[in-house]
Amino acid sequence: MQGSAKERVVAELRARIAGVERRAPLAGTAERERDGAALPFRHAPPGLLHEIWSASAREAGGALGFALGQGRRLIGRARQAVLFLQLAHEAQETGLPYGAGLKSFGFDPQALTLGRPRDIGELLWAIEEAVACRAVAAVVADIGGAPRALDFTASRRLSLRAQASGGSVFLVRYGAQREASAAALRWRVEPAPSAPVRFDDRAPGDARLKVVLEKSLSARGVGGLKGEWILNWTEAHGWDLADGDQGAGRAVAGAPAYGAPPAALGDRLSQAG
Amino acid sequence: MVLHLPRWATDCLKRADRRLGALPLPLALYERQQGAMRLVALDARAAGAGLSEGQSLSDARALCPELDAREIDRGMLTSVFADFADWHSNASPIVSVLTDSMPYGDLALDITGVAHLFGGENRMLAHLTERLEMLGFTVRGAVAGSVGAAWALARFAPGQVAGNEDLPDVLASLPVAALRLDDAQVEGLLQMGLKRVGQLYGRDRGALRARFGGTLLNRLDQALGLVEERVTPRLPIPERHAERRFAEPVTLIDDVMLTARDLGRQLSAQLEAEGAGAQSFHLFLYRIDHKVMTLSVNAARATREAGHIARLFANRAERLSGEFDAGFGIEAVRLAATSVSPLDTTQIGAFETDDGAADLDRLYDRMASRLGPLAVSRQKFVNSHIPERAVTLEPAVARTPDDPQAMPDAGLPRPLRLLPRPEQIEVVAEVPDGPPARMVWRRVAYRFARASGPERIGVEWWQPGEGALTRDYYVAEDEEGRRFWLYREGLYAVETGRPRWFMHGLFA
Repeated sequence: MQGSAKERVVAELRARIAGVERRAPLAGTAERERDGAALPFRHAPPGLLHEIWSASAREAGGALGFALGQGRRLIGRARQAVLFLQLAHEAQETGLPYGAGLKSFGFDPQALTLGRPRDIGELLWAIEEAVACRAVAAVVADIGGAPRALDFTASRRLSLRAQASGGSVFLVRYGAQREASAAALRWRVEPAPSAPVRFDDRAPGDARLKVVLEKSLSARGVGGLKGEWILNWTEAHGWDLADGDQGAGRAVAGAPAYGAPPAALGDRLSQAG
Repeated sequence: MVLHLPRWATDCLKRADRRLGALPLPLALYERQQGAMRLVALDARAAGAGLSEGQSLSDARALCPELDAREIDRGMLTSVFADFADWHSNASPIVSVLTDSMPYGDLALDITGVAHLFGGENRMLAHLTERLEMLGFTVRGAVAGSVGAAWALARFAPGQVAGNEDLPDVLASLPVAALRLDDAQVEGLLQMGLKRVGQLYGRDRGALRARFGGTLLNRLDQALGLVEERVTPRLPIPERHAERRFAEPVTLIDDVMLTARDLGRQLSAQLEAEGAGAQSFHLFLYRIDHKVMTLSVNAARATREAGHIARLFANRAERLSGEFDAGFGIEAVRLAATSVSPLDTTQIGAFETDDGAADLDRLYDRMASRLGPLAVSRQKFVNSHIPERAVTLEPAVARTPDDPQAMPDAGLPRPLRLLPRPEQIEVVAEVPDGPPARMVWRRVAYRFARASGPERIGVEWWQPGEGALTRDYYVAEDEEGRRFWLYREGLYAVETGRPRWFMHGLFA
């Protein structure tokens, strides 16, 4: 009884500090301890800007699967929708989310709304507009190439917007070139051979991915973690450690990739956001 | 009220090209009809010079050597006339173009309950015709209780206002052509010696029907007001509206949007007083050069919140940006609401409750108003087993109920991403009807480690479209772990000797 009261006080203080600092509150220590190790794909708090990188458009399926798996975790009673945004002319390159596929993947197709703007300006506007909505759990934006409009300023804007509203933004990006961005978490998703199927070693089984956490900002409740894991998708448990990958050993707590943005810039933007 | 503009074609050209109006030359328009060039429209000078419609161009040139003849552009004339008609909605909300004799030239206005604003029917008629004459149009108008009678009067006895009880007397003396009949019918009546409408009264209806068909009687009854005739309004009839006229024309879109915001507040108060909300909002911009621009936005659920309406228009205007053309200025703005339905005050409070559906609808409204209604969509299942037909996109703002029969089977392997058009690939298989072993897709070679299938999907033979072949779908995983959905088109040795392969989707 006493312990829970103490926890509540700590959580309250955390929330207050977060309010002062305009940041998402730190994840509770109890939650972390229960997980045994820091597995940010399991408990990354809402209200963050994520980047999910994959090497090329042919790995778009895995990247979308990872983003939707994370998005599904954030769906709740008050936040029921996930938006997928993609430039209309890029649909053929990476494919459109397919309702029947979502269903067999384990994602409710009714919860996904597609937005297909014509240019990157409209796309960024749509992300901001969508994440500001109280009922949106996550926005998944598929962005091919390296558009100039999506610079550090734009990503900082999105990140502040996400923090303010508590919805998450997942930018699905392709290529090897990383630009400066204000994303709280940067993931790299690589293909991995699927889980074995009992009685049929010629058939692909449950989806698996190799996920590398390239960067995480220490201040956002996800710690200055880095690490890589092999994840296994099951409809019941979402993305979780595949058998034989103990993960915890590979997560390395390290210095944050970089700290706060330059004071002047941060100040200006926090006013804007 | 019907306004008849007999010289619309030439007046319109003269207004568009001032030099043409300034020259003292007769103007005529001709059209190629069965190899001959015949006059189809004349201005007053040309008519005065003894030319007539239907005359051949060479005859007309002989009669009147200084004639300025041009080829007619019917499409242009019709569309300009439609704009011109829309502009008249500043006089009455229900305006339509009567296309019985020509696609342009006749305008019908329903002035029920409007005339008193102009000080009576006579003064309204005078006001509208004077206004058009000042702009250089030849116009004749008449007011009557039925569209048919007003049309007849406008052509043959303009300037009149006829009450319902006088209609039979007023129409009796007009020629039969006043009944909007086709040429053959008029000719037949004249041959029978029936020249005036009055001569048709009391004739044996059975005989008339047998000789001229039902349309004659119908037109007669319509003109006399015995049969109600409906006109199709060109613009949606606003159920509720608010408008503002400017002392000076405005040209900036920002000013227009500010006005729209103000009008939105007025309209919202109006709707609130009635306990109603609306789903469609239309902003009419009346330009001083007689064009009307319409911006329409739709909301997913009935609303009357001024801020939301204004935001939808602001987004819609952003999408417009380059196309906005105020011409010489906008003299009046009208905001109208249609699809009005009762909206309880409690429903507004939904914003405060925990149900996010109202918020989501607002979001979709805003996105659709800026990105276009088709750009914000959700997936709807269709009862089909052809993968690309099984799902369609429908606008998120106009949801329809799901078909429970169409729900896909979650047990079937279906990719997370589907390519809208399958891409042809080069595949090597160990045997022609076996699983794929290697492929080249987008110029990159892949070697498959595992594959499952085939899932055979047959043609929907009951659908139109020939030449479709059976598809064998495989889930194939390459050595690094990318999972693809590919299919072989055509059954080997049964439907085709060389089956082709296609890439159709990507799995997680």
